[in-house]
Amino acid sequence: MAYKLDIAPALPDAQNEEVGASKFCPGCGHGMVLKSLAFAIDDLGIKQKTVFGVDIGCCLLAWNYLDVDTVQNHHGRTTPVIYGVTRANPEAIGIAYMGDGGGLAIGAQHLVNAAVRGERMLIVLVNNTNYGMTGGQMAPTTLPGQVTETTPYGRDCDATGRPAKGAEMIAAIANPEKSYVARATISNMRKLRSTFKKALETVDKGGFAFVEVLSVCPLNWRTNNVDTWARLQQMEEYFEVKEFVSGSEGQNG
Amino acid sequence: MATMEYQGYKIENIAKGKMDYYVYTELCKGCGLCLAKCPINAKGEKCLSWSKEVGIYQTPAVEPDPALCIGCGTCALICPDSAIRLEKKA
Ligand SMILES: Cc1ncc(C[n+]2csc(CCOP(=O)(O)OP(=O)(O)O)c2C)c(N)n1
Ligand code: SF4
Ligand code: SF4
Ligand code: SF4
Ligand SMILES: [Mg+2]
Repeated sequence: MAYKLDIAPALPDAQNEEVGASKFCPGCGHGMVLKSLAFAIDDLGIKQKTVFGVDIGCCLLAWNYLDVDTVQNHHGRTTPVIYGVTRANPEAIGIAYMGDGGGLAIGAQHLVNAAVRGERMLIVLVNNTNYGMTGGQMAPTTLPGQVTETTPYGRDCDATGRPAKGAEMIAAIANPEKSYVARATISNMRKLRSTFKKALETVDKGGFAFVEVLSVCPLNWRTNNVDTWARLQQMEEYFEVKEFVSGSEGQNG
Repeated sequence: MATMEYQGYKIENIAKGKMDYYVYTELCKGCGLCLAKCPINAKGEKCLSWSKEVGIYQTPAVEPDPALCIGCGTCALICPDSAIRLEKKA
């Protein structure tokens, strides 16, 4: 039987210890993304000035995940809420946390314009190739042939277009000198943490950062542990994991 | 901040006796992602397996075979719920 342990779990300081187990499903990638983000906040010592915005979607389950000021927003509107915060309070480091649906479907206009204008914020877009919270419908990122609730015979790209590549799109429009744009994956947790660190450093210097993270949704994918990792590998073959823009690195201004 | 108490179990002397391995039963959701990532399991050995202990959803938690576990920390690194901790022995 379990008993009282003498040491606490190794949580990042920026994670809210008091909530206990997260509200995400067993094996959900959101936990891995958020824990890496919290470690990166620790690495830079910016917890006190960070403002975290969560979108509707499974992201909203992170409303008390971090031990930082957090605001929950309408679906797709986390981006403008967070740059509103950083415009009003230039000291704050704003992070907008959203899903692929939130960022590339309903909130795409905000994402595009924040990138074009170089708003001082980090946008984290968690790509799990579906609308997780609402039961696994097709998202802009759903892979060709992928079965979802709304593509029961597999996604047909002739009818629905090709999967949206968020990081490539943002890399094409963001100011290369003042932005950081990358795609990372939860299969490489150390790299994910250092990617978040670079992104947050860019924001701390006044720049714009966008990190798309390839993630997993075992509940709606109906995958077991082995198949979950295998599906993520398929995603990595379709969505290139790389740093697309790292303009503000080494800059002081 | 309130001082938290944590339930779980400890497997002593993994990694040739250099480390201890902690599993927090209020955090483990039994997803099994760690089992699939353990490099020793990947070689076909039974290093990390399901435990008789249960996690927060009353599904099996996990435990390493101390004789096989090399203490690489991969399982702790990927656990979405930080249910595993490895500690060097003093
Ligand atoms: C304005 C509005 N439209 C639609 C919805 C319904 N809705 C809730 S979550 C969601 C999609 C979530 O998918 P995603 O953003 O990819 O996040 P995930 O749950 O996959 O992490 C939708 C369409 C809503 N809440 N508000
Ligand atoms: S539905 Fe999918 S994305 Fe949402 S918490 Fe569950 S596993 Fe995670
Ligand atoms: S220890 Fe973590 S990764 Fe392993 S089964 Fe439990 S919750 Fe999942
Ligand atoms: S520490 Fe490494 S070898 Fe030991 S159970 Fe975890 S993944 Fe396997
Ligand atoms: Mg999604």
